[in-house]
Amino acid sequence: MAREYKTSFKAYAAWNYEKEIEDLNEASEKGWQLIKGGCFSTRFVKEPGVRYRYQLDYRRIEDMGRYIETFQEQGWEYVNSTFNGWHYFRKLYDPALPEEAYEIFTDRESMKEMNGCWARLALGIGIILALFAVFYAVRMISRPNLPTLLYVLVFAIECVVLLRGCAIMRSESASRSRRGSSTFLAIFFAVIILGAAAGVTLFSMRPHFTTSPQAASIDQPFEDERQMSFEIRYPDSYYFDLEMESAEPMTFRIVNEDGAPVYEVSQAKFSEESIRLRLPAGQYQICLSCSTGFRMNCEFE
Amino acid sequence: MKRSEPMSESYYYILLCLAKGANHGYGIMQMTEQLSGGDVTIGSGTMYGATGNMMKKGWIREIMSDEPGLERRRLYQLTDAGREALRTEIARLRRMLENAEEV
Repeated sequence: MAREYKTSFKAYAAWNYEKEIEDLNEASEKGWQLIKGGCFSTRFVKEPGVRYRYQLDYRRIEDMGRYIETFQEQGWEYVNSTFNGWHYFRKLYDPALPEEAYEIFTDRESMKEMNGCWARLALGIGIILALFAVFYAVRMISRPNLPTLLYVLVFAIECVVLLRGCAIMRSESASRSRRGSSTFLAIFFAVIILGAAAGVTLFSMRPHFTTSPQAASIDQPFEDERQMSFEIRYPDSYYFDLEMESAEPMTFRIVNEDGAPVYEVSQAKFSEESIRLRLPAGQYQICLSCSTGFRMNCEFE
Repeated sequence: MKRSEPMSESYYYILLCLAKGANHGYGIMQMTEQLSGGDVTIGSGTMYGATGNMMKKGWIREIMSDEPGLERRRLYQLTDAGREALRTEIARLRRMLENAEEV
């Protein structure tokens, strides 16, 4: 008879691993036995008539042979490990055995060590996320725009969710509050995926170009330079650096679709960085007028 | 004499169980339960962590059994440093007990 398999796509937050153990125990009672545990999916085989109790351990293993042997000695069968250091074990359920027979951590110190091992890693990642949030927050002060604001929010939210998990993992109360654990995990992944996608999209939709036309004199929008027209696809703050020099005053102008200037400067010598423009979406054009030879460089982003 | 940190119950019982000779994890667990009248148990996770940490401290070492029928079985053996650590802990516990009797 063909064996029946099923895969469940339920992810558990690390700080909620007791819930995963509970669910595995329940599945076993219903005849679904774990074959392979994972971070995002769990594989079961239908095998009624047996009942296992499960345990999860988190650590970096130095000696896998010794590790598995230590568990086997007490009747634990090694199931599998995930790439990030979670190890699944099961033991045949015997109603005659006391509940303690299914514990793998029997003192407070070793429990703290295991939880602390994960919490330390999470804290490390949390600090890196916080540094990124601060980096973009500083950029937000000097050059505020949408993608930067989005990065600040993404890194700050991820940092808070992770540090919250870290605090839960470190808390010693036997029955940790599990309320909202899956909500927080969902927030964590949604923010990573949506935040990263939105950030990259917003960033790539912005015009990035450098133009430095050289000419004896012009008095027209120069259509021959392909970067001279550009498109703004969403309203936001945009920035550019401008440097120009000529014998007589020259005019640098950015006009919108209606020909109305959104920026204009007339000077013989001009140099400024991070000029901020709040632009609605639309087509724009850079126009120059000068009757003598000139030098100009404009970096737009 | 430098003051030593109090030992966890698991560390203490593992060292105690090895005092009279090398033993494997299961033997240590059974002996611990027997000695403590079932009060102290050492689960697998606790056992692996504690033995690993004590090997790093140099208190115990791993040897392979050469007894017939138990060949290539992993055994733990107390080192001199481990014996010393156990002695220090016992002295600390004894002092604590004496202090209690004085009061």
